[in-house]
Amino acid sequence: MSADGKSGRRGDGTVPVLAYRKIGKRFGDFVALAGVSAEVRKGEVVCLIGPSGSGKSTLLRCTNGLELIDDGEIALDGTPMPRDWNGMRRVRQRMGMVFQNFELFPHKTVLGNVTVGPMTVLRMPRKDAEARAHDLLRKVGLAEKAPSYPSQLSGGQQQRVAIARALAMEPEVMLFDEPTSALDPETIGEVLNVMAQLAKEGMTMVVVTHEMTFARRVADWVIVMDRGAIIEQGPSTQIFDAPAVERTRDFLSHLGWSG
Amino acid sequence: MNFDWSVVWRNSDALIEGTTLTILLAVTTMAISIPGGMVLALMRLSGVRPLVWASAAFTELFRNLPLILVIYTAYYILPVATGLSFSPVVTGIVALSLNVSAYNGETFRAGIASIRKGQSEAAYALGMTRWQTTRDIVLPQAVRRVLPVLASTWVSLFKDTSLVSVISVGELAYNSMRLRAQTYRVLEMLTAMAAIYWMLGYPQAKLVDWINRRYAVTE
Repeated sequence: MSADGKSGRRGDGTVPVLAYRKIGKRFGDFVALAGVSAEVRKGEVVCLIGPSGSGKSTLLRCTNGLELIDDGEIALDGTPMPRDWNGMRRVRQRMGMVFQNFELFPHKTVLGNVTVGPMTVLRMPRKDAEARAHDLLRKVGLAEKAPSYPSQLSGGQQQRVAIARALAMEPEVMLFDEPTSALDPETIGEVLNVMAQLAKEGMTMVVVTHEMTFARRVADWVIVMDRGAIIEQGPSTQIFDAPAVERTRDFLSHLGWSG
Repeated sequence: MNFDWSVVWRNSDALIEGTTLTILLAVTTMAISIPGGMVLALMRLSGVRPLVWASAAFTELFRNLPLILVIYTAYYILPVATGLSFSPVVTGIVALSLNVSAYNGETFRAGIASIRKGQSEAAYALGMTRWQTTRDIVLPQAVRRVLPVLASTWVSLFKDTSLVSVISVGELAYNSMRLRAQTYRVLEMLTAMAAIYWMLGYPQAKLVDWINRRYAVTE
């Protein structure tokens, strides 16, 4: 990013990892997304911020097809994604997702949680899947928790396992849906640190978050949403230090953000 | 009134034989009805209309008919209707399995429905298919959650096996009744029968209590 923060977005001139073109999504009469267009580029951390109900999570869930879009098109590495469930499933393997409520599988150990994807979906032999899982658990600082069950871990530890579980599929892009919203304040930091580390290693990440300090510090690009539309997007410095749109300023000041 | 308890010991062979058959009936029926109930539940939740209807019809038919009627029907009408004739034991197992499968189907359906949607979504997000998700993520959790219900169904089944005595299956109830008729030792034989059922049933009921505590859902 150049000094003036206006030009030189990372990956200019390359094919975006994710390209959203005029995405529309309705739930009955409720318009969740009204023509959203945006890009996520390789190695970028894109944060989606905005008031609750603004469509951030819906956009994220449409990205890996947990919700199917009604209008528009999402392209992964320049290839439009299929619109049907089975086609989406194959694309989905290339994206990792981390949920607000962790959604670890309670009947499996930590190791089992991290190996189940590679073993069932990629048909990886147990030995290889376990070796990969141990590497990833070490990476998120939970090497010694491999034999534990999720219920024996704190929220922050569970979420770090969930990150390892998603990484085990070696995704091209990681999707985070409010990853720290369900955490006790004292464990938020350990999860954000793991995410910042991932970002530093060049992982492409889309993060729905209310953690403005994290967004300010780690995001390359910030998208502000309200009522199913993007009201402003730009480099994080611009959004947080000099928001151009009134509603962005309102939202940030509402959260107590003072720049 | 004088009692002759020796009649129980003299006929212990028949009682042991009956007890063995009672256990065999219950075990075999449950072994059939657990997968049977699972198939019914998966059909019911498949969203495929004909499967949903077939499962619902089966369940509502066999859940709402008296078991003794199902047993008589299987014994007297099934062979005429289908041309197949089974031994009384097999007929009894078929009738019991129809009934218990219907119950287990409802149990599994409730169990599967109780697993949070986020669990399936987490599996889908890894790229798992619907079937892999059901098999590896949803069913194992659902089974654990309904274990206490399955255990009480088992305890009921164990006692309900006595109903197949009406088609001359030589299980514990039938043999006891036969001995009663042969020896005229009504009280002795009924007491022996009660004692055996109770001694087998009590530890099972305690086991159910333990399972209830062990697998109590704390979420």
